[in-house]
Amino acid sequence: MQNQSNVPVIEVKNVKKQFGDYFANNDISLKVETGTIFGLLGPNGAGKTTLIRMINNIYMPDAGTITIFGNPVSEDTQNQVAYLPEERGLYKKQKVIDQLIYFAQLKGVEKNVAKKRAEQWLIRFDAASWANKKIQDLSKGMAQKVQFISTLLHDPKLLILDEPFSGFDPINAELLKEVILELKSQGKTIILSTHVMHQVEQMCDDMCLINKGKAILQGNVREIKKSFGRDTILLEFEGDASFIVENPSFKIVNQTAHRLELKIIDNNFDSKLFLNELNQRLEVYKYELVEPSFHEIFIQSVKGNEVEIG
Amino acid sequence: MGKYSKIKTIIAHEYISKVKTKGFLIGTVLGPLGLVALIGIIVYISMNFGDTSKKLAIVDNEGTIYTELIKKDSSLYYKSEKSIDALKKELQSENIDGYVVIPEDILDKGNVSVYTGGGGGLGLISSLEDNLTSIVRVKRLERLGTDASVIDLIRQKVNVETNKITETGETEKDDTKAMAYVGYGLGFAMYFLVFIYGSFVSRGVIEEKSNRIIEVLASSAKPFEIMMGKVIGIGLVGLTQIIFWLLLGFGLLTILGPLIFGDPESLKTMTDMAEAQGGGMASQTQGMSIPGVDFTLILGFLFYFILGYFTYATFFAGVGAAVDNEQDAAQLQLPITLPIILAIMITPQIMNNPDSTLAVVLSIVPLTSPLIMIVRIAATNVPIIEIAASIAALIGFFFFAVWVSAKIYRIGILMTGKKPKFSDLIKWIRTA
Repeated sequence: MQNQSNVPVIEVKNVKKQFGDYFANNDISLKVETGTIFGLLGPNGAGKTTLIRMINNIYMPDAGTITIFGNPVSEDTQNQVAYLPEERGLYKKQKVIDQLIYFAQLKGVEKNVAKKRAEQWLIRFDAASWANKKIQDLSKGMAQKVQFISTLLHDPKLLILDEPFSGFDPINAELLKEVILELKSQGKTIILSTHVMHQVEQMCDDMCLINKGKAILQGNVREIKKSFGRDTILLEFEGDASFIVENPSFKIVNQTAHRLELKIIDNNFDSKLFLNELNQRLEVYKYELVEPSFHEIFIQSVKGNEVEIG
Repeated sequence: MGKYSKIKTIIAHEYISKVKTKGFLIGTVLGPLGLVALIGIIVYISMNFGDTSKKLAIVDNEGTIYTELIKKDSSLYYKSEKSIDALKKELQSENIDGYVVIPEDILDKGNVSVYTGGGGGLGLISSLEDNLTSIVRVKRLERLGTDASVIDLIRQKVNVETNKITETGETEKDDTKAMAYVGYGLGFAMYFLVFIYGSFVSRGVIEEKSNRIIEVLASSAKPFEIMMGKVIGIGLVGLTQIIFWLLLGFGLLTILGPLIFGDPESLKTMTDMAEAQGGGMASQTQGMSIPGVDFTLILGFLFYFILGYFTYATFFAGVGAAVDNEQDAAQLQLPITLPIILAIMITPQIMNNPDSTLAVVLSIVPLTSPLIMIVRIAATNVPIIEIAASIAALIGFFFFAVWVSAKIYRIGILMTGKKPKFSDLIKWIRTA
């Protein structure tokens, strides 16, 4: 065991994984630091699940290395990791409490300890009364809660959550978010794989965007946003805005009757001059020069990458 | 935490979650009742619907034969006063099943004609032949003025008592006939148990795969542990059930045994009753006694169940991992299920000829051996060398099953979408 404080929780180095002729992961490297929430992003089929499975010791990389707290992925590291797969699965005909105990036991927790922790977490999720119900008698949202609880019982240092919010109503999604942030404050590390970009902006410290098996954008979420610069104008107004739409200095990102999101594509664009023009021709309620949204960054990066690949 | 504790956890989970179900309780209690009911129905049918479905009209030109025939089996024969032409018409209009014409000179020539609407079965002809032969024989002797006591002597059947010489040179009563039936029963039991528990395994694997539970399991334990944990856990459930049945059987024998079998008179009554029913049952039960409990046989059964179950269940686990539903599983399982289906189909031949080359070969060939060998052990004295060869082959084949299935399982459990073909499975075995 190496000293855990300065060793990254996960270090992926030049990992490759091939299925037949298809490269699911092609030379991916990344680091996840202790106590952070790390966004693992990418379009469907980009290779996220393959990477997650390798971190969980389900697949072995064809080349490269993956270490967890400095140790190569193995049966021993499995017990330190929690995994909530995107496609949830529980035994339909078994009782909630029995399954929770079983999954915890498989991660090396004693039965009594598992039972106690399961009961505590069921209370925390307002689900104590379900303990003796079978999964088939629960709603989908309830089953999602049970599955999430099942990842916590071995007190993992690292949680890998694949689309954790899907299937939750807003109230329970908020509860889940609260719990995830609470886990972070306890020093746990969380990998969050999601397609919901505002969650990345709200929750993640670092991120990695994967496309076609390659990491195309990674780093600190704030810094990535900054690096894209304040190149977007958010505008709320009253009047005829057609002169803006026709202006070649902009690319329209988003347009509704009284709202425009514009990306500045003219390098010599003068913000003051444009604001003057606006004030003369329109009633302006809001004018804001901002960084692009993560939604936009995601689309730009993936599309740009596809163009590069040809 | 070592690796053993994980496979132990999986075994315990499989075992407890199965034993706790209502299905297990019902199966354990109702299983023997069902078996008894099944045997009861078979015996009832063979006694009551054996030869009585058809009736033959007797036209007796000799004049004395028909009374004897009706005495033999009044449910089969009846006397007809009608003319042959009238009977022919009735047969054509299907009012009667058939008629027998006994010629005047039957005692001299020994020829009889029977007319039916076609078919009628071998049983019908052979009972008629048997009955007429014995009647004619006695009549001929009577005609010659043979003394009644001589005729009585001739009527008596010979009872073959089977004995065997043990290795120590003692002579023991041999229960060949009874034991052949015991073997048949055990063979059937083996067939059902291996199949039922084997399909529990493949169903379990498919459930974990199609419900995506496997992803979580695979992030906690090795695929091999998950697969073998399930096979072992469910196997222990099967053993629990069998041992419960054995104990129940012993208990019933100890309590009820002396009441039923202890009294030789009651046994004799049973045989007499069977004889009175006529037909096949009498000849089957004749010279048959109830054998004592044979521990070698029970041990052999348990042993072959374990080996047979493990081999089949392991294959079933591999195949289950390759598919998404049970229909597809049944198809891919065919190459391994065919041998045991073949085995159960030819079990009657094995019973009759437990030492034939076919029997010996099939009791050594791995996939048929659990069933065929148990039939042979019950029905005959199987040489130790053959048992050793059979066990060695089966154990070897079990390891082959584990090797093949583990590879298919490892790849299959995380594959979804299109159903793999045999060629795909072979590819998986080669690449993994």
